Amino acid sequence: MEGRPADDSVLIARAVRGDSAAYEEIVKRYQQVAFRTAYIITGSAADAEDAAQEGFVKAYRALDRFRPDADFRPWLLRIMANEARNRVRSSGRRHRLELRLSEGFRPGDAVPSPEAVAVATDERRRLLAMVNELGEDDRMVIASRYFLELSGEETAAALGIAEGTVKSRLSRALARLRARVEETANA
Amino acid sequence: MPELEQQLTSLARAIDWPPTPRLSVVLPIYGEVAGVAGRRGWRRWPYALAAGVLIVATLLAYTPTRDVIAGWLNLHTTIHREQHPPTPSPRPPGQLGSNLGLGTAVTLNEAQSQVSWKIAVPSALGRPDAVYLKQPPNGPSQGEVTLVYGQSPGIKVSGQTGVAALVTEARGQINENYFQKTLGPDSTLERVSVGGHAGYWIAGHPHDFVFTDANGNFQDDALRLATNTLIFDHDGTIVRIEGDMTKAQALQIAGSI
Repeated sequence: MEGRPADDSVLIARAVRGDSAAYEEIVKRYQQVAFRTAYIITGSAADAEDAAQEGFVKAYRALDRFRPDADFRPWLLRIMANEARNRVRSSGRRHRLELRLSEGFRPGDAVPSPEAVAVATDERRRLLAMVNELGEDDRMVIASRYFLELSGEETAAALGIAEGTVKSRLSRALARLRARVEETANA
Repeated sequence: MPELEQQLTSLARAIDWPPTPRLSVVLPIYGEVAGVAGRRGWRRWPYALAAGVLIVATLLAYTPTRDVIAGWLNLHTTIHREQHPPTPSPRPPGQLGSNLGLGTAVTLNEAQSQVSWKIAVPSALGRPDAVYLKQPPNGPSQGEVTLVYGQSPGIKVSGQTGVAALVTEARGQINENYFQKTLGPDSTLERVSVGGHAGYWIAGHPHDFVFTDANGNFQDDALRLATNTLIFDHDGTIVRIEGDMTKAQALQIAGSI
C-alpha cells in the first residue's frame, strides 16, 4: 500500500498552502495506482496517461475541498476514474481491457523448478483468460479488488458505485468465474 | 481465503501492466485557469506556463498594478491560496461572489444569450446582485450560471463571502447514488419534491456535488458556501440553492421559480 495517512495529510496541507513540491510528492506517490485505475477503465495506456495527468490537475484544483479527516486515496481515485470515464465518453471509443501475464516470475517469488514454472504459468494464464472473458462489470470489480488491490471504499470510488454494491458485484463475479473454472476442469 | 481468491491474489503479482508513465503535472494557478493542454501538447507546456505564471505572479505582487493587470487578464479569481485565512468581513472587496470561482461576471441577459435553457430566477429572491457564467472546459458541457445574492430577508449573510444565497444552474442529471457518497458524515440528505420535480435537501456542511452534465460527463462541483443546499431537477436543468437557510425557506425560494 502506498503512503501513510499521516504523511498524506502533511503533504496535502503543504500543497494547499501553495507548496508545489509537496504536490509533486503526492503525484509520485500515487501515480501508479492512478494510472492503473484509469487503465482498467479506458483499456488504453495512452488514454490512461492523459486521464491520470488531467486527474492530478483537477485534484490539485479541488485540494482545498478535501476533508482532512477523510482518506485521500479513495478521493483521488474517484477523480481519476471520473476523468477516465469522461475520456471514454468523449472519445466515443472503449478499448476492451485485456490484461496480460508477464513472462516468468517476479522478484521476490521463491525460485521454483522449470516444470513448476511451466505449470504455474499455464494455470495463471488460463485463469487470467477466464477473467478477461467475463462481462465488463465482473472484470472491472475483480481487477480493482484483486489486481489493483484496492479497498472496498477505493473500488467503490473507482467504479462509481456504492460500497455495498462492490460486495454484491464481487460476489457474483467470483461465482461466475468459479463456475467457468469448474467447467473447464470438468471438460 | 477460498482457493479462487487466493489464486487471483497471487495472479496480481504476475499482471503485465503497461509501464506507469512519469507524470509531469503542470499545476495551474488556483481558480479559473483552463486545464492542461492535450496529450501531445502538455510536455511542451510546463516551461511556457511556468514562465507565464512567474511573470503574472511578479506583476500581481505589486499592489498598485495588481487590480489593473488582473482586469486585463480576467484573473480576478486566479490566486486565492493564502498563507493565512482571510479576516472575516461583512463584504469582501471586489464584485460580489468574485472570490468564489464561479466563472466570468456577466449580466443576466449576457448569461441568457450564452446558454440553451431559460435561466430560472426565483421571484422570492428577486433580481440577482451578480451573475456568473462558467463555460467548458472549466464548467459543464453546456455551461453553468450562478446567480449571487448579497442580501435576502431572513437569510444570514456569510461573513467570509458576503453572500447570502447562490442559485446555480446547469443542464444535466442528478445521480443520487453517486452524489450521496460524496457527502461527508457532517451532512444529511433528504428527498424532497419541488413542484413535482425530484429534489434533495442537504443539511449540514456539504462541500461537493457530483452530477452528470448534458454530455454525460461527470462534473465534480464545489458547493461554494458549504452550507444547507437544495438541489432539484427543473426540466432537465439542475438547480442548486445554497445559503444559511431553513428547508422551508429553500423550498419557498424554489417554488417561486
